Amino acid sequence: MAEIEQFLKDMGGKITNKIEKEKRLYFNVTNDDLQDIADYLFNKMGCRLSTATAMEMYHGIEILYHFSLDKTGQYFCPRVIIKDKKNPKVNSISSIIEGAIWIEREMFDLWGIDFIGHPRMEELLTLHHPGTVKQPLRFREGA
Amino acid sequence: MKANKIPIGPFHPLLEEAEYFELKVEGETVVDIDMEIGWMHRGHEYISEMKTFTQSIYLVERICGICSTSHPLACVHAVEDIDNIEIPLRARYIRTLVGELERIHSHLLWIGLAGHFIGYDTLWMWVWKYREPVLEMFEIISGNRNHYGMMRVGGVAKDVEPEKITELYKHLDMIEKKMVMVANVVRDDPVLRSRLKGVGVLTHEAAVAYCATGPTSRASGVPWDVRRDEPTDAYDLVDFEVIVLPNGDVYDKAVVRVLEVIESCKIIRQCLEKLKTAQGSILNNVKEISPGEGIGRYEAPRGEVFHYIRSDGTNRPIRHKVRAPSFVNIPTFTASCKGIPIADALITLASVDPCYCCTERSLKIIDSSCESRQIDLLKSSREKTERIRREVHGN
Repeated sequence: MAEIEQFLKDMGGKITNKIEKEKRLYFNVTNDDLQDIADYLFNKMGCRLSTATAMEMYHGIEILYHFSLDKTGQYFCPRVIIKDKKNPKVNSISSIIEGAIWIEREMFDLWGIDFIGHPRMEELLTLHHPGTVKQPLRFREGA
Repeated sequence: MKANKIPIGPFHPLLEEAEYFELKVEGETVVDIDMEIGWMHRGHEYISEMKTFTQSIYLVERICGICSTSHPLACVHAVEDIDNIEIPLRARYIRTLVGELERIHSHLLWIGLAGHFIGYDTLWMWVWKYREPVLEMFEIISGNRNHYGMMRVGGVAKDVEPEKITELYKHLDMIEKKMVMVANVVRDDPVLRSRLKGVGVLTHEAAVAYCATGPTSRASGVPWDVRRDEPTDAYDLVDFEVIVLPNGDVYDKAVVRVLEVIESCKIIRQCLEKLKTAQGSILNNVKEISPGEGIGRYEAPRGEVFHYIRSDGTNRPIRHKVRAPSFVNIPTFTASCKGIPIADALITLASVDPCYCCTERSLKIIDSSCESRQIDLLKSSREKTERIRREVHGN
């Protein structure tokens, strides 16, 4: 597909571990390159940010962004891996995409990921919960 | 002028579910809005990791009472995406049939409520009357009026037998005829036009910036619809039009939904016609899911429902992400509510269809002190409609 080829031509130097399936392109990016990739996908290619998925894995915390190129139905999914599980931080893309504000707040809330540069880094879903459990989706020994 | 705050919610007759809106107003004009969610957080994503893939379908069916097809469909699409699982032709038509019936009943629910909020109770009652046969069609197909339990990885759970098709046609004929009438009413009524035109405008740029989906974005000229852009099930086998309007106001959002109902009727008719001849199985036997990750989405009545599932090769997902359309549509209030009169706030908040019923009163807090008075958002909205009606009809 021409869009994928152009993307790989322009941004290929910033991506690793590329996995290509029908209408899906998963790849890794570093935290430093995340904003460039998001800017390219959103502003240059016209992708829409569907959402982002955080996961706690053995090797760190993953954030998988889901950018949809609606005119073709193609998904571009940059993956950032944060190795510091105790103090996870990643650059915010909310200055590029306003739609990311709630998406990042949700990940801050449920996973404790600090998005650097976010305009309002506070809980989204558990702000008014009476309980004291923080970051409820993080792995807990014995939970 | 000193700005005052009007809190709506979290538990309020306006809101079918618990959400909190805080309107900042100067005089009669809304100058800012803040939103808080989280009172309905039930931990579906976490629970799903403890369920099998089949059990997860039943779980996500209960995320929303209105979208009880959209979430299961997106969920099975995500699982099927991991292994590129093929779906039997007959099952594809049945999935599409059920999905479009859901679109009709959801849009009719919204049109009725919107009519109620602006003082058109006749429209409300008529539209909800015509929603009833849609629920009966669900009952004929699945045995249930809600939570249909139809979706399975690899197909559907229940077939639509020939005698049911005849019965479904009778209901569809009536619904389609009445929906054309409702569409004409919504588009031709001068009071409705005056009341809703130019109200709560979400510009094309704002819709793109907030990544809005569904009728909320299509009424702002953003032409995307998952059914056409990444067709699953039988959407590439049926003819339909994606309704896109340019103005982004409440009127265009209403017209998009009304016209989508008519398109859904067309799709259902095509599916029923094909089900007369498409023979064969309705479910492929899927024994195991490979390790991997899959994305599933479906164009729900409110917009794109998104599910992401990662499998480690066992019978349970190790991660199941769910994103409902309201999650990206509700933040657009920041763009659409600024500068509008209080009388228009209610219908503007309603215009993205964020699951609410009706409003009676809210408490106005002046400078966050305990001084307060009751105002009636619903009354205010209806009074504006009445003023317009008198201007248009001259009595």
